[in-house]
Amino acid sequence: MANTHKNEEMTSLERISTALQYKKPDRVPVAPLFCGASHRVLGITYDTWSLDAALATKSLLAAHEIIGFDAFVTLVDLSVEAYDFGQAVIFPKNSTGYPDYNNLFIRNGDDYLKVKYVDPLQSRRMKSVIDICGGLAKARGHDTGVIGFIYGPLGVLSQMRGHEDLFKDLIRHPDRVLEAVETINGTLVEYATAQIRAGAHSVCIDPLYSSASILKKETWERFEGPFCRRIADSIRNAGGLVTMHNCGNGVYFDAILKWINPVAISHAYPAYGCKTWEEHAAVWGNKVVSMGHSDPAATGIEMTPEEIIEDCRAQIETFSGCNGGYILSTGCEFPPNGNLLSAIAMIKAGKIHGVYS
Amino acid sequence: MSGVKELLYKDLEEAVVEMDEERAVETAKRVVEEGFDAYDAIEKGLAVGMERAGQLFDEEEYFIPELLMCSDAMYAGMDILRPHIRQENVAVKQKVVIGVVQGDTHDIGKNLVKIMLETSGFDVTDLGRDIPPARFVETAKKIDAGIIALSTLMTTTMDGMGEVVRNLIEQGIRDKFKVIVGGGPISQGFADRIGADGYAHNAADAVKLAKRLVA
Repeated sequence: MANTHKNEEMTSLERISTALQYKKPDRVPVAPLFCGASHRVLGITYDTWSLDAALATKSLLAAHEIIGFDAFVTLVDLSVEAYDFGQAVIFPKNSTGYPDYNNLFIRNGDDYLKVKYVDPLQSRRMKSVIDICGGLAKARGHDTGVIGFIYGPLGVLSQMRGHEDLFKDLIRHPDRVLEAVETINGTLVEYATAQIRAGAHSVCIDPLYSSASILKKETWERFEGPFCRRIADSIRNAGGLVTMHNCGNGVYFDAILKWINPVAISHAYPAYGCKTWEEHAAVWGNKVVSMGHSDPAATGIEMTPEEIIEDCRAQIETFSGCNGGYILSTGCEFPPNGNLLSAIAMIKAGKIHGVYS
Repeated sequence: MSGVKELLYKDLEEAVVEMDEERAVETAKRVVEEGFDAYDAIEKGLAVGMERAGQLFDEEEYFIPELLMCSDAMYAGMDILRPHIRQENVAVKQKVVIGVVQGDTHDIGKNLVKIMLETSGFDVTDLGRDIPPARFVETAKKIDAGIIALSTLMTTTMDGMGEVVRNLIEQGIRDKFKVIVGGGPISQGFADRIGADGYAHNAADAVKLAKRLVA
C-alpha cells in the first residue's frame, strides 16, 4: 500500500519532517505509539513478539498497513536493556515483559558494582531492537518515520534494582548509583548510535523520572540529565534526530530542553507548571514539538471511534497555534490489548480535522 | 505530657521527617524503656512525622524518594512500639485490603496509598503485587474489611479489577465491601463501568475517598 493516501500530498515521512521543522504539512501527522499491540495483527503471542526481531518487524509492518500511522516507534518493553545487563525478565504470553522482582540483579548497595558494560551489537535484546529498526527502515524508511527507542540509564537501573529501592538508593548510596549509571550510559550511547546506523531517523529517549510525579528536578538533573545529554549528542552525531518520551505527570520541559534538547517530546500531561493543555500549548507549543496527548487507556479501550475522533479534534485545536509543530499521538504506548479500530480512528481524526489550510 | 515524653515524641516525629531510621528505632526503644504509652508514641510522634512528610510532598519539597525514606523510618519505629501497645488502647480501626492486581508488579502507587491510609488511621492488609482476584475477596471476608483497594499501572491487567467486583457479586456479598480503584490507566469512567465504589487519582485522594466511603 502506498503511504501517500488519497487526497494527501505528502508521505508520512515528509509530514513528520515538516512538522518537526515547525512548518505546516498537508495535515497533522498521527503517530499513536502503536508498538506491542502489533503482535495481535500478526497473530503471535506477546512473548514471541518481544524476542523475535523478524516477527516483530513483520507485525509492525502489518499493523502499519492496516492502520496507516505516520511513524513507527520501536518500544518493545522497558526491560530490553536491563535484560542484556543480566536482569531476569518474565515474558507473559499476552502482556509486556517485566523484570522478575523476586530475582533482581541488584539486591543491595554493593551490587551496583556488578553492572558492567555490554556491547549492544553482541547482546540479545538490544540487538533485536537494532534489527527491528533496520528492518523497518529497509521496508518503509523511505516514506514513513522510523523512531528507535531507548530507556534512560536511571530507568534501566530501576529495572535491575526495583523502582522503590532505586529511589531510596538515590539518598542512601548516591555514588554507587552514579557509578552504575555511568557504566550503563556507555552502553546506551552505543545502542542509540547503532539504531541510527541501522536506519532509524530518530531515537526516542525515555527519561521516565524527569517529572514532578517522581523526582525533584535537581535530583533528575544530577542522576540522569548529563547522561541523557551524552546519548542525545551521540544520536545527533550519528545523523539522527533526538526525540523524547515521558508519560509522567509534570515533565520538567525546561530541564529536558537543557539536557536533551529534543526536536519533539512525547508526553501524556501538560508540562510542569502548566495547569491545562491550553496553557501548555501557549508556553511550550512553539518551543518544542508536542507528541500527544490522547489518554491511551481511554482511547484504546474505553472510547468509541466517534468519541476518539472528537477527542483528537479537540487536541488538534489546542495545538493549532503552533505553526504545524504538533504530532497527534497517544500520551503513552497504545494499549497492547487496545482496539485496533481505535488507532484507525486516530488516523481518521488527523485526516478529517488535521488538514492545514 | 511530661517533658521527657514530649521530647521523645517530638524526636520520633523529627526522625520520620528527617528520614532517619536509626534515630526512629533508638527513640522508640527509649519510649519503651521509659514506660511511656506505645500507642501514644505512634499517634503523637511517628504519625505526626509522616503527616508532615505528606505535607512536604504536597508542597513539592519532598518527592517519592524522600517519602519512601520517611515511611521506612516510620515503620522502623512502629516495629519497636507495636508489641508494646496495650490492648485497651487498640481502637477498632476500619480495615482495608490493598494490592496490585494479577499480572502487574508495579507497586509504588499502591505502597504510597498504603502509607497514607495507615497514617490516617486505617488498618491496612497489604497483599502485595500480582494478586489474583479471588485472593482480594477471600482476604476481605476473612479479616472483615470495609474496603478493598485495587491498583494497576497496566491496561492489560485492568480487567482484574472488574473481576474482583464480579466475584463479590457472584458470592452475594457486593454490599459488604467498598471497592476503590486507582493507577495510571484508571479513570472515573473505568471505575463506573466495572461498578467500583470509587476512583482516586493519587494517594491523598485515595485517603479522602476511603474516609468518605466508611464515614
